[in-house]
Amino acid sequence: MISLYLSHSSWLHRWPAGIKLGLLAGCSMMILPVVRLDLMIALLLATGLLYTTLGDRGWRHLEMLRPLLPFLAVIMLFHLWAASLYEGSVSVLRLVIMFLLANLITLTTRMSDMMAALQPVFRPFQWLGLSARSLALAVALMVRFAPVLVMVMNNLDEAWRARGGRKHKWRLIVPLIIQAIRLSDHVAEALTARGGSSGITVRPQKNQEITNNEQR
Amino acid sequence: MNKDKTLVQIALYAALIAALGLLPKFNIPVAGGVPLTAQTLGLMLAGVMLGPVRGFLAVALFILVVALGAPLLAGGRGGLGVFAGPTVGFIIGFPFAALVTGLMMQMLKKTSLFVGVFIASVVGGILVLYAFGIPGMVAMTSLTFAGASKAILVFIPGDLIKALIAALIAQSVARAMPGIIPSR
Amino acid sequence: MAWFARKQKNYIPHEEAPLHPEQSEHICIEQVDLQRAGDPFFQQISLRWNEKRVGLIGNNGSGKSTLVRLLNGLMMPEQGRVSVFGYDTVKQAALMPALVGFIFQNPDHQMIFPTVAEELAFGCEQLGQTTQEARASALALLREQGIESWADRPVTQLSEGQKQRVCILAVLIMKPRLLILDEPFSSLDLPTRRLLLQLIHNSDTHVLLISHDLSVYDEFDRLIWMEKGQIRADGTPDEVISRYIDAVNSSVND
Repeated sequence: MISLYLSHSSWLHRWPAGIKLGLLAGCSMMILPVVRLDLMIALLLATGLLYTTLGDRGWRHLEMLRPLLPFLAVIMLFHLWAASLYEGSVSVLRLVIMFLLANLITLTTRMSDMMAALQPVFRPFQWLGLSARSLALAVALMVRFAPVLVMVMNNLDEAWRARGGRKHKWRLIVPLIIQAIRLSDHVAEALTARGGSSGITVRPQKNQEITNNEQR
Repeated sequence: MNKDKTLVQIALYAALIAALGLLPKFNIPVAGGVPLTAQTLGLMLAGVMLGPVRGFLAVALFILVVALGAPLLAGGRGGLGVFAGPTVGFIIGFPFAALVTGLMMQMLKKTSLFVGVFIASVVGGILVLYAFGIPGMVAMTSLTFAGASKAILVFIPGDLIKALIAALIAQSVARAMPGIIPSR
Repeated sequence: MAWFARKQKNYIPHEEAPLHPEQSEHICIEQVDLQRAGDPFFQQISLRWNEKRVGLIGNNGSGKSTLVRLLNGLMMPEQGRVSVFGYDTVKQAALMPALVGFIFQNPDHQMIFPTVAEELAFGCEQLGQTTQEARASALALLREQGIESWADRPVTQLSEGQKQRVCILAVLIMKPRLLILDEPFSSLDLPTRRLLLQLIHNSDTHVLLISHDLSVYDEFDRLIWMEKGQIRADGTPDEVISRYIDAVNSSVND
């Protein structure tokens, strides 16, 4: 499924999600004020080491940094222009370390465990009338239907190309939105038919057949 | 509207934003080749199509699922890492961008749909988003405020084009399904 | 729904007696009026049955889907009364999901969870089981069906027939007393149709099946043919099907 979670097990997988999140917050707080380059390099090496302990595929996940590279380059350039190479390097390394540590949690924690650990964060929303159950249902629905909409998109794209469409692909967003709206009507109906987001509060009598026989 | 329908709409719109981000084909090459994804287009349209509250909730749900570990941000990013990255301000700003876009749509009831969506998208999807994004960059990168602002100026032309495209899309959808846009 | 496994508290739905006990063995549609797009569509339509296997046929737009939606409270009659085993679909709408199971045409529209086990467990949670109990019930049903390995499969990876099978199981696990299927086979091949039909026949619930494939009604007790919001014919499958085919042939030859 669409998740970064590594399905094989490592020592970090076995730690409770709440503790991992707490440690992450603590580490980030400690790293933020560090301004020494030698310390940063040491921390980076330590983080890299943590990745290798995830098993033989551990290192491979450092490539998640790639989408971050343009940003890091821009940040470096601005520091070179406004300050110095030293400050730029510290800044970039700090970002890389914090990013890698945070993703380490994501790699080793199941989405459902993360959800459970984040529950206190959602409490304010519950006062607004959004129940934990609705939220869990919404997350499940989204995870379920994201690939469906990608498939719809691919089908639209194929149909569009079959008719010679090449340019202005953003136009496909229009039928995609329309299909998503229609889909949401159907799904809502199906959800209601199965008792809806608030669950079933009343059920028919179980022993009805027996009562009928007695009446006869 | 009934609760199930609202819930499903929010979840499916969040899924739609994810789908838009998973498709690299939608990169719009402008502004010196900076690839722009359709994902921020999805934010602007969330406020337009769902209104401020449901738009906010749809985008917030999307961000939550990203935080839970789904690599659904444009370019396949996701997980807690993005919240420790330089773009964290933008990500936190996403739902508020949708919220303000939706509010602007309600305020711009009298304009034509096209103009309304364009203005609402510029205010919500650009001004508000950058108001969150730039301080986020400053906090995470020790850049100065002016430096961070300059660094992201390059995205403005592309974002303006996206606001324009959002207006075109909203117009087409409204034509195909009259009455579907809540503020009209 | 494993997301809030630890703290979610489920409550057991309380039982309620039928509002119309005199009809507790029948499914009754009594003198129902319903508008569609502002025009009267159903006018004083009435139907009553207690056969286990009932089919519903008719051309597109004849009112089949509307009629079945009256039976689980998805649509409400403007006039008249609908009751399922004595339970009023309007006044007792809250218990319809536990009483009437509904299968839609497109499985992609009704599977609401990412994996097969979660999809099946949802119905059990709706009925008050805890997350763990619900998962156990789901796994037990999959085992009984010989498809235990499907449990953690993403539903997007299933074939159309497999998806529809999961949908039917996800509804049957709630033990509804009436199972309504609205063109469930339209995108399936013949072997898959047979398999699912077998699954339906093996369940001991009452069944109401809409299908354009007339061969599925072989072992049915009763068949109803609708046209333009009215009952055109009602009887054994053999006689209704032959009348329907005659009518289709004569209208095509005109």
